[in-house]
Amino acid sequence: MDSMKKAHVVAPDAPVRVRVESISKRFGTLTAIEGVSFEVRQGEVLGFLGPNGAGKTTTVRILTGFFPPSEGTVWIDGRALFESPKEIKRQIGYLPEVVPLYTDMKVSEFLDFAAAAKGVPRKFKKTKLKEIVNRCGLETVQNRLVGQLSKGFRQRVGLAQALVGDPKVLILDEPTSGLDPKQIIEIRGLIRELGRERTLILSSHILPEVSMVCDRILIMNKGRVVASGTSEELEASLKDTQEIYIVMGERHRKDEALGFLRALVGVEKVSVIDERSDQVSLSLTVSKNQDLRPAISRLFVSREIPLLEIRSGRLSLEEIFLKIVVSEAALQEDKAKPEGEKTEPEKGTGAS
Amino acid sequence: MKGAWILARKDFRSYFHSWTGVLLAVFFLVIAGLFFCLLVLNYARFSFEASKYPQEVIQSLGLTRFVYTSFFLNMAMILIFLVPLISMRAFSEEKKQQTLELLYTYPFSDFDIVWGKFWGMLQFFSFLLLPTAVYLGWIYFLGGRLDGGQVALGYVGFILLAASYLSLGLFVSALSENQVVSAVVTFGVLIVFWILDWVAGFADGLWAHFFSALSPLAHYRDFTLGILDFSHTVYFVFFQLYFLFLALRVIEARHWKTS
Ligand SMILES: Nc1ncnc2c1ncn2[C@@H]1O[C@H](COP(=O)(O)OP(=O)(O)OP(=O)(O)O)[C@@H](O)[C@H]1O
Ligand SMILES: [Mg+2]
Repeated sequence: MDSMKKAHVVAPDAPVRVRVESISKRFGTLTAIEGVSFEVRQGEVLGFLGPNGAGKTTTVRILTGFFPPSEGTVWIDGRALFESPKEIKRQIGYLPEVVPLYTDMKVSEFLDFAAAAKGVPRKFKKTKLKEIVNRCGLETVQNRLVGQLSKGFRQRVGLAQALVGDPKVLILDEPTSGLDPKQIIEIRGLIRELGRERTLILSSHILPEVSMVCDRILIMNKGRVVASGTSEELEASLKDTQEIYIVMGERHRKDEALGFLRALVGVEKVSVIDERSDQVSLSLTVSKNQDLRPAISRLFVSREIPLLEIRSGRLSLEEIFLKIVVSEAALQEDKAKPEGEKTEPEKGTGAS
Repeated sequence: MKGAWILARKDFRSYFHSWTGVLLAVFFLVIAGLFFCLLVLNYARFSFEASKYPQEVIQSLGLTRFVYTSFFLNMAMILIFLVPLISMRAFSEEKKQQTLELLYTYPFSDFDIVWGKFWGMLQFFSFLLLPTAVYLGWIYFLGGRLDGGQVALGYVGFILLAASYLSLGLFVSALSENQVVSAVVTFGVLIVFWILDWVAGFADGLWAHFFSALSPLAHYRDFTLGILDFSHTVYFVFFQLYFLFLALRVIEARHWKTS
């Protein structure tokens, strides 16, 4: 991940733009988020990462004043969000998860409306809108109906709409979902550029995206923040966790092997990555900073199961994310079940 | 307030972006024109038969009363069909396109949103009404003499009635995600209000008073007759404020701290 290092560093004395104090949100009996707290400084890019239903959208909606938290307070620029919503909302640009668009308007009309709504003074309006249109690459579609645009362009219009009014805080909910790879790269570049000048909060369930664009990551699961920090910090905090890859023969004895591996002290999780012809590839997460490889090979030898390969590797951020999210919830219930489908094979460090 | 105006302007324009708006305008113009022509022709036949009598008798027949009172009373019926089609878009359309989330996070207050929606609809309705002014010119051209005050009062009453119906439609559309449901429910409630007027006719004594006090049509009728009664205006203003307030409560409901 070193090649993806951020281009800038947030000044430690930069003012705090957004402060969230232990907010919770309940929908009837369902608790969508619980006790979420964090701070975002000027010029910082914060990423929410979490699986479906983690509560990212709910958190973001509270930040934008769409609905208030059941408990807790949001401070924007030192003012409580519920106190003077109109002025505070002027400071926030928001791209919702489902890009909301007036499909029967032209792109230029829509942006005009956004400018009027956000109180952009008339004399700057033209130049400001032009700047945004250029920035989002919308020059060619200005006079098209929004409803006739492709998904990528709609996303851009959504982004442009959020940028109108020079908001100090920009909040983007899954800005790249549903785009093709080329568009994703373009939009990410745009986001990174935008993050240089203002406070940016984005949500995503794609880890590389978050670690690439964000200065700080907040991993959410089931409505709680389960880990936070820079991608380096997250990796460091789990440094003593190792992963061991094993390729064994005699596939029919897989369950037996799974059994004694799980029983081994220090093994947190065993998942099946791949099963091919007579071979099974396994991945072990080892909690303590100890080398279990000798013990494992001895076990295989004593049971006369062919051990074709054994290798240890450091966890990548992707694996940390999965580990945190999965260990939170699925560890107990899934202990007996193989979890091969949860680890994407190509992400394993050099598994071949 | 500025926010409400901006929103109203957007909504007004959006009626012309869709076929609904254009079709509504055509529908209204054709029906209104038809009614008007029939009434004028009727009057012409009537006054022709009356032409055996002296001039004063013809004069006293009252062109304004004959044409405009009936015109406005009939148009009140048309409103029952027209209003649901105008108001169904108000909130339901924004919900469908998910743009309500946008409005809620733009610097609009909830009050701005409700007023903006209401004004937008009223602007569109007034726009529909505009061409009917041509009828006035037509009558003058034919040499008829009108009671300007009565016609003006008719228009005031008609707009007040429409605004009341629209405020009700706005409330219904704030409740519903679906345009069709919104239109049907509004239509149903308007029919109930119309029936109230009937019931007032059948009932006697206190009940009759009660029903006609509630019925919008009963309050509207005086306007078409050229009678200015302040209490009728108050009724309509209250009617509108009441439903706008309800609509406001509906969209404010998302602020309630569910726990
Ligand atoms: N308006 C609502 N009414 C009831 N429950 C809701 C509402 N909005 C969200 N929830 C629930 O809150 C939880 C969190 O949802 P949320 O949309 O915040 O997740 P998310 O992290 O954005 O997921 P995704 O990655 O799928 O977008 C879910 O269980 C969801 O069903
Ligand atoms: Mg979401």
